[in-house]
Amino acid sequence: MVDQSLLTDDVRAHIGRTAPRGITRVTPQALLRSSDTYFGKPWEPVPGNGEPVPGIVIAALETESAGLDLPTVMPNSLLISNEWQFERRLRMGEDLEVQSRLADISERFGGRFGQSLYFRTEVEFTEPGSGAVVARTVQTMMQYDAANESRGDDE
Amino acid sequence: MSLDVAQLKEGDELPPLELAPDLGQVIRYCGMAWAFPPFFYDIEAARAQGMPGTIVPGPLKLGLVYRAIHEWLGDAGWVRQVRAAHRRPDITGRPIVVVGNIARLYEEDGADRADLELLVINEDNQPSVRAFAIVEFS
Repeated sequence: MVDQSLLTDDVRAHIGRTAPRGITRVTPQALLRSSDTYFGKPWEPVPGNGEPVPGIVIAALETESAGLDLPTVMPNSLLISNEWQFERRLRMGEDLEVQSRLADISERFGGRFGQSLYFRTEVEFTEPGSGAVVARTVQTMMQYDAANESRGDDE
Repeated sequence: MSLDVAQLKEGDELPPLELAPDLGQVIRYCGMAWAFPPFFYDIEAARAQGMPGTIVPGPLKLGLVYRAIHEWLGDAGWVRQVRAAHRRPDITGRPIVVVGNIARLYEEDGADRADLELLVINEDNQPSVRAFAIVEFS
């Protein structure tokens, strides 16, 4: 049983790190790819330039963000949660700046997975120029050691 | 049929959305997200991870929750936030159903909003995802 914290100063130093800022555009192609993925069909009618688009498009835009290299502290990883947040509706044709950030790392002892580390990353979409936040995606990954996993209900 | 927002009340249920995400849909997700963990599409890789088959990516299930909300909401508003907490893997091709209800109706920042609580339920009647969303009515 491990009882020493893995959240060392070296690991904590990653908190707040960002990937290079990129730029993305809300396009009919991005809407088509996301609609086909989630709804199984193209989005119709396709919004015109400046018209609001459904939030699912953010999943296609997210790929324009350079990824973050998370420190590998434990051998296994698992997606715990993910989220889309919108301050306003995205609009067809608009350009957005996009940047990934490692927002937080926390540690948990006990439970089904034993000692584990939680990495919360955010991808922020902002208006070029003003820097106003338009939308954000949030993802929490857990690192754990499967050798310490106990079987049973994972609720 | 459009949603009559004036008639909504807390506790109202969203229409269940029955789905069975197949390998084709998972591969479309992988291409869109440019994410290719082999256990999403390679059954041997999934078995090596201790799973009985390829699994539906968690972020794909977030989008399916969004879809359930959208199909209920239609043009009556938009989704401000949706969050999925992943509890169990779902195996590709197996049936799931997205269910939900209105937890709270309120006004904020001059807008009429609702908090929604949702679940993705697997064929064993277990929740694989617990989800939360905020919608804003037009």
